[in-house]
Amino acid sequence: MAGKSIFVDTTRCTACRGCQIACKNWNRNAASATKNLGNHQNPPDLDGNTFKLVRFSEVENEGKVGWYFFPDQCRHCLEPPCKDTAEGYVNESVIQDDATGAIVYTDKVKEAPFDEIKSSCPYDIPRRNARGLAVKCTMCIDRISNGKKPACVSTCPTEAMSFGERDEILKLANERLAALKAKFPKAQLLDADQVRVIYLVVDDPKKYHKNAVASLERGNRRFAAKRVIDSILRV
Amino acid sequence: MKLTRRDFFKISGAATAGLAAGGLGFDFAPVEAYAWELRTKDAKETPSICCYCAVGCGILCHTDKKTGKVIYTEGDADHPINGGALCAKGASSYQIAQNDKRAQNVLYRAPNSDKWQVKKWDWALKEIAKRVKKTRDATFVEKNAQGQVVNRCDGIASVGSAAMDNEECWIYQGMLRALGLFYIEHQARI
Repeated sequence: MAGKSIFVDTTRCTACRGCQIACKNWNRNAASATKNLGNHQNPPDLDGNTFKLVRFSEVENEGKVGWYFFPDQCRHCLEPPCKDTAEGYVNESVIQDDATGAIVYTDKVKEAPFDEIKSSCPYDIPRRNARGLAVKCTMCIDRISNGKKPACVSTCPTEAMSFGERDEILKLANERLAALKAKFPKAQLLDADQVRVIYLVVDDPKKYHKNAVASLERGNRRFAAKRVIDSILRV
Repeated sequence: MKLTRRDFFKISGAATAGLAAGGLGFDFAPVEAYAWELRTKDAKETPSICCYCAVGCGILCHTDKKTGKVIYTEGDADHPINGGALCAKGASSYQIAQNDKRAQNVLYRAPNSDKWQVKKWDWALKEIAKRVKKTRDATFVEKNAQGQVVNRCDGIASVGSAAMDNEECWIYQGMLRALGLFYIEHQARI
C-alpha cells in the first residue's frame, strides 16, 4: 500500500499543543467555545473547528501517577468505514486521494446522515462544523500535494511526528518500537496495518484515550473484528 | 468525477482553489485527480522572529501581495534555532496581526476611583506620555551628592515586556535610558 503516512511517537510528545494550533492556523479554524475539565485538555473534545486535539490523561500505574499525551486526529484508514457509509448515500462525498491516500470529505457529505458517518468511525473523529458539514483532518491534502508536510508535523518541536512515504514511516515506526521495547514491554504501534496515522504508545492504549485503537463499541466493527481475529490467529 | 471550483472552495475552506483535472494517463480505475493548491502559493514570504519567549524561533510570514495583509504564518524551516518547528504560542502568531477579538479600546481607572472608563488608545498613549514626562521632570537628578553629573531619573522603573522582540527591546531600552532611567528590567530575567 503506497501513499503517505504519519508516525506519532507519543513518548516524544510534550503536549505543547503546537500541532493543534498549527492545524487551526492552516485550516483557518476559529477558536472553540471551551470549558475547564480540570486538566490541560482544551477544548474538551474535537469539534467542527478542531481537527486535531492533544488529549491528556492521568492514570495510576502501581500507585504512581502516569501522565499520557495523545495528539488525536483522523487516522486516514486504508479502508475507511466513513467513506463506505457516506458513499452508500452519496457518491463522491468522501475522497480517498490516489497519490497520498488521504481521506477528504467533500461538500456532498452534507447529503449523507452525519450520525451514521460519525458512528461508523472506529476512532470517533468526524464532527460537524457551523455549516452543518461533517469535517475532520484532511492530512493537509493541499500542503502534501505540493511537497510540504502537514501543518501539525512541520510544527512539532520535539519531532514526535514524522511524515513521509508509507513504507519509510512504517520502517521508522518499527525501529522506534524496537528501541523502546526493552524499557517499555507494553510498547506497541496502534492499528499500524490498517491506518495511515500510526501511534506509538508504551502502555495500554485505553489509558491514553478510549478510542486510541479501533473500538469494539463503535459502529462499523470491521476493524475491531479484524483485531480480534488477528489476536486469535496469533494464539 | 467532476469537482467544480466552487465545490472545492467549500471542501477545503481555502482561498485558493483547485479544479478537477483529467486522468493521470491511465483509465482502468475511476481516477480522481485534483489540483490541490497551496493557499499561500502567491503570497510574499518574509522571515521574522517569534515575539514570545527568549528562544527566538524563526517564523515565515506569508502576506497577500495585493493587500499586504498577513494570510498565514509558520515556522521557518531554514532557521537554525527551530528548523520549522513552533510551539502553540508561536503557531498562533497569525492572530497577532489578524484578530477580531483584539481589544479596540482601553479601560481606564482614575486614581482613587472604583469605576472603569472606556477610553481610546490615542487618549491612553498621550496620557501615558504626559505622565511619564511629568514624573521624569519632577524626579530628574542632574548631579549626585558629590556634585558629579549623573543625569538620572529615580522616579520611574520599567519591568517587562515578554511580548517584545529583540529589536523592539533595544529601541525601548534606548528610550528609557534617554529619559535617564536605570531601573530597567526584562521579563526574561525575572
